Amino acid sequence: MVDLATITAGFGDAFTPFNLMFVLFGVLLGQFVGAVPGIGPIMAMAIAIPFTFGLDPLPAIAFLVGVNKGGLVGGAVPAILMNTPGTPDAAATALDGHPLAKRGKPLKATKMALFSSVTGDLFSDIVLITVSAPLAIMALKMGPIEVVALMIFAFSILAGLIGNSLIKGMIAAALGLLVASVGQDPEHYTPRLIFGYWDLFDGLPLPSVAIGMLAISEILRRMSLAHGNVKSGIITDGSNRPEDRRVSWAEYWACRYTMLRGATIGTILGALPGIGSTAAAFMSYAMTKAGSKDPSSFGKGNLQGIAASESANSAVVGANLIPLLTLGIPGSVGAALIISAFMIHGMQPGPLLFEQQGRLVYGLFGAMLMANFVNLWVGQLGLRFWTKVVSAPESIIFSAALLLCIVGVSMATSGLFGVAIMLIFAIVGYLMSTFGYSLVIFIIAFFLGPRFEKSIAQSLALTNGDLTQMFKSPVAVALLVLSVVSFVYFMRKNAEAEAIDSKT
Amino acid sequence: MSADRISGIFFLLLGLAMYFVVNPAYIETVEGGSLNPKTVPNIISVIIALCGGLLVVKPTHHEVGDLRNIARTGFYSLLLIAGLYAMSRFGFEYVAPVLAFAIMWFIGERRPFWLAFGAVGMPALIWFLVTQALGRALP
Repeated sequence: MVDLATITAGFGDAFTPFNLMFVLFGVLLGQFVGAVPGIGPIMAMAIAIPFTFGLDPLPAIAFLVGVNKGGLVGGAVPAILMNTPGTPDAAATALDGHPLAKRGKPLKATKMALFSSVTGDLFSDIVLITVSAPLAIMALKMGPIEVVALMIFAFSILAGLIGNSLIKGMIAAALGLLVASVGQDPEHYTPRLIFGYWDLFDGLPLPSVAIGMLAISEILRRMSLAHGNVKSGIITDGSNRPEDRRVSWAEYWACRYTMLRGATIGTILGALPGIGSTAAAFMSYAMTKAGSKDPSSFGKGNLQGIAASESANSAVVGANLIPLLTLGIPGSVGAALIISAFMIHGMQPGPLLFEQQGRLVYGLFGAMLMANFVNLWVGQLGLRFWTKVVSAPESIIFSAALLLCIVGVSMATSGLFGVAIMLIFAIVGYLMSTFGYSLVIFIIAFFLGPRFEKSIAQSLALTNGDLTQMFKSPVAVALLVLSVVSFVYFMRKNAEAEAIDSKT
Repeated sequence: MSADRISGIFFLLLGLAMYFVVNPAYIETVEGGSLNPKTVPNIISVIIALCGGLLVVKPTHHEVGDLRNIARTGFYSLLLIAGLYAMSRFGFEYVAPVLAFAIMWFIGERRPFWLAFGAVGMPALIWFLVTQALGRALP
């Protein structure tokens, strides 16, 4: 168990002006890029990771946490002003945010989004800080056999939940694992699938694969869509009446149950790998609308609708770190990027993290709490500015983002070889998303691949190659049974969806 | 032919090619140990081939969308590859402004201010951030 001295030392490390400055930079950058349709916090984090190499672990991670949290607030701005969500999870926010903006209250809508986003985020951070250490202690009791079973279970859930086809989900996961096997094998350290390129001996560089698949492929897709059309329609003019430009305490307090429900939904869904913040936002929105005395007002600029969506999608971010910190399993692309930043800075996520680097973990928690308050402060001051940012032409955003990706990956991988790999994975990522394969599953499988294979090797060594020994572990058996159950469940669910689809 | 059938055939062939051709040729055989280096890639290759086959038999209704967008993406990809090749020959400082200008021009940007800012201002900002502020080398 982490002792109190470590916890206070961790929080003490975080609450310094130096770290506060990096959190502030991160939040500023996050809100800025979140407000730009087409970039978003995930792409910003992917681009920013290589630029944090020269920093100490805590300020680097504090900066990235700031980018992630700031991006969620910024993402609501284009959703409200342009009906074009900067991030997919802000799509539910647009349902009521955009109509409210059209009624001449764009600032009121963006401020409600800011307040409910910070409220939901703070709620999930408190849950994360409270439950992650006890969960890590439980996870420590698991050996390699249980870890293999847990990963199989995680893959079965991920493959079924993300995307419309379990088979395609399995292909994406298998492809991620196959790509992860490039480099040296974890037991004998012999070169494997490197095709004579000794630069690949340590495996495919994480920044190249992540940035190629998540950032460049998305930029390429949006560039082809923007081709010949660089203008954007935007609402920035609004009423000058003070009550239309702010959210009063009474209006905020009236949404307290909506935000609590949204934050709870977001926290629960965020703790489960694979269910993204978009699902949480829509679920919270639907439940709020269903429970409302005036459901017909939703979709016409109801503040409760904005509060429901934003509190839920922001609560997912903190909760996503629960499986990451306790089990080492990233639950989303954002968490997978944070895991790569952890690894670059010498942290190995998983149950041992609390034991070996408890101070750093509590430093991270401190940075997350700081980021919430900074997010609120920067949002209050910056919303007027971010409304101008969304009108920047996409052409300059895409060209700048591409140059930053090239430079960032070149710095991270010490040369243009890594950039070439990034381009290859950008094309692979584009084709995968075009043909309906989940990039999230691919990336998570790629991150988990080496650990998965190592755990299999350790399990085989422990059991002298007799895998039936696995059945002597009740935890492993339970997880494998759950994997089969989830596999069958998703197969049936997909078959039902297909049947409904073919009837219509 | 549906999009899923096309990708299913691709993954079926990829899985088979990996299992029968690539893995035997590019993974060393090692004696002893608990897990052979070929085992996991071979299992994954079989899974990819099987799932690809299943997708051919039972495709979903997924559609790839407008083929012109895919062609445009192909064009932008080629532009990036050419830019990267030029960067390896001449360096970031000389190629980045041309690449940024070309991207903006092909997207449809014609306003002189934004073109100048994208082609000169942004690469200069990146140069300052990387070489002066971070003290690192550009590609």
